[in-house]
Amino acid sequence: MSEQALSDPWRLPLPHSTRGRALVGIRLVAVLALVAVAVTTPGFFTTVSLFSLLNTMSFVGCVAVGMTFITLSGNVMSFALGVTLSTSGIIFIAALPLGLVGAMLAAFAFGAALTGIQGFVIGYFRANPIIVSMAALALITGCATLITQGHGVYPQGSAAAALQGRVFGVPMPLFAFIVTVAVAQIVLSFTWFGRNLYMVGSNWRAALAAGLEPARIVLGAYIAAGLCTALAGMLMAARYSSGDLELGIGYDYHAISAVLVGGTAISGGEGSAIRSMVGAFIIAVCQVLLLLHGFSTQVQYLAIGIIVLFVIMLQTLVDA
Amino acid sequence: MRLLIANRSVRPYLLLLAIIVALWTLDQGRGRFFTAATAFSVLQQLATIGPIALGLGLSMIIREFDLSVGGMMSLAGCIAVLTGGRYPELGVAFAVLFGFAWGIFQGAVMVWLRLGSIGVTLGGLLTLGGLAYVVTGNLSISYPRMDVAMAVNHPLLQIFSPRSLITLAAFLVAAFFLARTRVGRDIYATGSDRRAAMVAGVRTNLIIPGVFACSGMLAALCGSLLSYGLAAASGVALTDALVPATAAAIIGGVSLTGGKGTPIGIVGGVLVLGLLSAGLEAIGTPPAVQDVVTGGVLFLVAIADAIDLDSRLFAIRRFWAEVFRRTAGPGQNIASRIN
Amino acid sequence: MKASVLGVRNISKSFGPIAALKKVSLDIEPGEIRGICGENGAGKSTLVNILTGVYRPDEGTVLVDGAPVNIATPRQAQELGVALVAQELSLCPDLSVEDNIWLGSIRVPFLHKKPELRKRAADALALLGAEHIRLDARVATLSMGERQLVEIARLLTRDARVLILDEPTATLTDIEIERIFAALLAVKREGRSILYITHRLAEVYAICDKVTVLRNGELVTTTGLAGVDRAALISLMLGRPSDEMYPEETRAEGAPALVVKGLTLPGRVENFDMSVRRGEILCIAGQVGSGAAEIIAALAGLVHDASGQVTVNGRALKIGSPARAAQRGIMFVSGDRAAEGVFRRLSVLHNLVATRLGDHSLLGFLRGGALRTAAERLAKHVGIDRRRLRAPAEQLSGGNQQKLAFGRCVERQADGVLLMSEPTRGIDVGARAEIYRLMRTFCEEGYALVLASSDLEEIVGVGDVVITLYRGRRVGQYRRSEVTMHRIVADITHPVNDEYPAELAS
Repeated sequence: MSEQALSDPWRLPLPHSTRGRALVGIRLVAVLALVAVAVTTPGFFTTVSLFSLLNTMSFVGCVAVGMTFITLSGNVMSFALGVTLSTSGIIFIAALPLGLVGAMLAAFAFGAALTGIQGFVIGYFRANPIIVSMAALALITGCATLITQGHGVYPQGSAAAALQGRVFGVPMPLFAFIVTVAVAQIVLSFTWFGRNLYMVGSNWRAALAAGLEPARIVLGAYIAAGLCTALAGMLMAARYSSGDLELGIGYDYHAISAVLVGGTAISGGEGSAIRSMVGAFIIAVCQVLLLLHGFSTQVQYLAIGIIVLFVIMLQTLVDA
Repeated sequence: MRLLIANRSVRPYLLLLAIIVALWTLDQGRGRFFTAATAFSVLQQLATIGPIALGLGLSMIIREFDLSVGGMMSLAGCIAVLTGGRYPELGVAFAVLFGFAWGIFQGAVMVWLRLGSIGVTLGGLLTLGGLAYVVTGNLSISYPRMDVAMAVNHPLLQIFSPRSLITLAAFLVAAFFLARTRVGRDIYATGSDRRAAMVAGVRTNLIIPGVFACSGMLAALCGSLLSYGLAAASGVALTDALVPATAAAIIGGVSLTGGKGTPIGIVGGVLVLGLLSAGLEAIGTPPAVQDVVTGGVLFLVAIADAIDLDSRLFAIRRFWAEVFRRTAGPGQNIASRIN
Repeated sequence: MKASVLGVRNISKSFGPIAALKKVSLDIEPGEIRGICGENGAGKSTLVNILTGVYRPDEGTVLVDGAPVNIATPRQAQELGVALVAQELSLCPDLSVEDNIWLGSIRVPFLHKKPELRKRAADALALLGAEHIRLDARVATLSMGERQLVEIARLLTRDARVLILDEPTATLTDIEIERIFAALLAVKREGRSILYITHRLAEVYAICDKVTVLRNGELVTTTGLAGVDRAALISLMLGRPSDEMYPEETRAEGAPALVVKGLTLPGRVENFDMSVRRGEILCIAGQVGSGAAEIIAALAGLVHDASGQVTVNGRALKIGSPARAAQRGIMFVSGDRAAEGVFRRLSVLHNLVATRLGDHSLLGFLRGGALRTAAERLAKHVGIDRRRLRAPAEQLSGGNQQKLAFGRCVERQADGVLLMSEPTRGIDVGARAEIYRLMRTFCEEGYALVLASSDLEEIVGVGDVVITLYRGRRVGQYRRSEVTMHRIVADITHPVNDEYPAELAS
């Protein structure tokens, strides 16, 4: 135990292992409580509720996976992912004349470019990530509004229909979400890039001193976020058959909520794509349960907010 | 003159001057721009964004960041509208009291649990926004007192209104407090070097909740008066105050690294944004252009304040010097090449 | 004999198994300047922390004016008149000089800009001979020496009766040091006492009335300086070095592995040259602020404005990028483990293989089994228990974390260069011995080692070649056979003119 602790009255005086166990215990209790409520709620296990649950989850989930890369890299969050989602959707719809594959590539490239520029400035100059994402939000919103004149973009022909169907009996958005989580998790756990990402998020300076080039890793993380968000944007645009700036509103907050509730540390270096999937799942379950018990969407929103606040306060058990 | 430019709090006013000159030139004497109406609109903008920018600026001065100001604004509006039917002052008082309490709560959590402000205020933002959402039921609650709604925005001396005067008063109080009191000095110390301040004996564990209480109160004041003026409280529309408030604070001279910035400077920053917006509108540009300009300025400031800017620029300069030297003198002795 | 203004009786303090202070007693008279000398780990900082209320002693008492007191918080210390200027200054750079002087003082009213307070601040600066420092200047614009004076002025305005100064002159120029001394004499004339903690023996002789020597937590002696010469004082401080700590020298290979010419860091280091051969350990000896740590950081690529010629294994290296340095075989072990060395929340395994992921991956995918095997081998090599591999690195002790940092560097390549900066800072004796042994095995494997240190025992025990550094300039170079601690201390404290002008001594 360090000397600081002796003269520091507020530090919880528990050794590390007890705090770790307390954290696991709290999480276990929370999950069990959730399961208990779910089981005792009539109508939860019907196809309709589960369906709506999984659908809701998929779009936010994709963005949450993208947000996870940013959070893991130690850059907290981005306020610009929602607007990246909308604009990627617009690009997708607008590029449909190029064919489905062409439009998808265009949207991916666009999303990656938008976040990549931010990632460059944040990685190479170490600019404040929150401020940069706010600036990007304003810039992208402004430019997009000017270009689209506030109107939506509508597809010509039915090339996008392919994204509206099902794959192996599973709705496309859910399928895409599962694939995204799988790919992201493989990258995080098994690749050189993923391992470096954890190190950079854990301690930038140590990563630099070890010769790991953190700037490149951060750029990569932001590009990954852009790709995930662009995917969500395409799927949403296909689902609603339109590209519109309204589509992505609030997604930044939904995504970061899923990431934090899943247990990824806001300080970086700890977490995973699967955790964000679990977080998105838990939030979706809470929402459906509240709905089934007669609570409005507003109360659901509030409940999520309180859960996030609570989860953040739990972080104190983690940080030594 | 150099000293003036170097002073961070004077810069927004120089920028203001530049904008006025630019707009006057663009206007070409058609009188679209320099009217009392424009001034009124700019000051109303000050009343809407100003207190938020001040509260956010205070949190940035202690090297933290209060993400929850937008949510507080919405919720405070609801509280004021719901409780201020009989006595509007009471509504505002309740709202401000709530803002105070929530700020203390957030600050205390940060200090006791040793958490950064981003995480805690993010949770705060979502919770407060959610509460506002619940209270309003996703509709607007209307405020029955139309007389108050009119009075709050009633033009005084052609360019002011009670809202903008209250806002200016808040800024003056803040300016006095920060410049002249011991606590104000301690706030700057906490942001400048928290460890040094603690070692010197400053009670940073009290300063932090105090500052967040102030930003809560300011956001509450702003939100409640705004809601009165609109004769309605809406749960949704007020969460995008964050970007203009941040931009205003930063233009106003507040630094992301803490310890710098003054309320007078922040007023300047808000006026710059307000004037830009009014001016652009007066000469007919679409409102989206404002977003682009605000975003662009924020982006540039983020780079200017970036941690590694100096070392990267140094490396770039050295690289180009090397390129220049090689193309200029390819026959130079390689052994004397300096890295 | 005058009554003691501050005293300690049989003070002891331990941190876990390490006894930092063992039954230390001393007394300070009013108007006395007492030097406190001792090597790293002697117990000076612990003593100071007890006197200023940061730590509580395990046993023993602190006496103020002869009466026992319980100094539980720094604020209480302030009230009792005991005040500290630490090595790391506690000034807020964005505040004015006047604000910094009165910062945190208990005597400041709510409206703090009072003319009386301003006058007292000005008086304090005047007493210290620092009238030229403007009260409204931002501290960020002051030089180190001026900042030091501002900190001392703060103590004066707090009516400090005992001023404790911890290495006050480490980063000062000669002129600034003279000014500080004049200021301290003025303070002494007012009847206040000064505890002057320093490595610099010339200064002890110049300014102190008596000196207290600590070694390994024990009081060696408190003596006047009249009869004691510098050599004797150094012997008291150092005692006998332990031979078992430092293994035998190995034979160095021929070719130079790392050659540095004209390394310059603007403002910190000037025209530094050195050459290290494979199998050799070179120590750059210098105090805090001498530039030794900066040289190591620059060679590791962490300083962006460094210039000079660096050759590694015969090929030139452009400094400024840690990744480039790593590619060329330069490895860096920092003295500041938490900030620059260890990924605290990641496992020991991940930490060990952090820099060799490329060696064990295929098309970007990591080969987990190969990495695990490599980690086990590395852990064995440096003596970390295999069972610890899965635990987060932050659970290891300081010594083990440092071994982890070394473990990253093992078995890299035959011609690696290992740079270290204060590698054994804050590590207990047992772990230190292991680390020194590790260094020797690195040498046997053919690495070249360069180490920056301010720990005299370490420098003398470990270095095959020692280069002494004083204020960014090379002073001398010695082989192992020629080096003595006395020589090093002389070089790194004040090489050219050992004695201060006689007029300054009281």
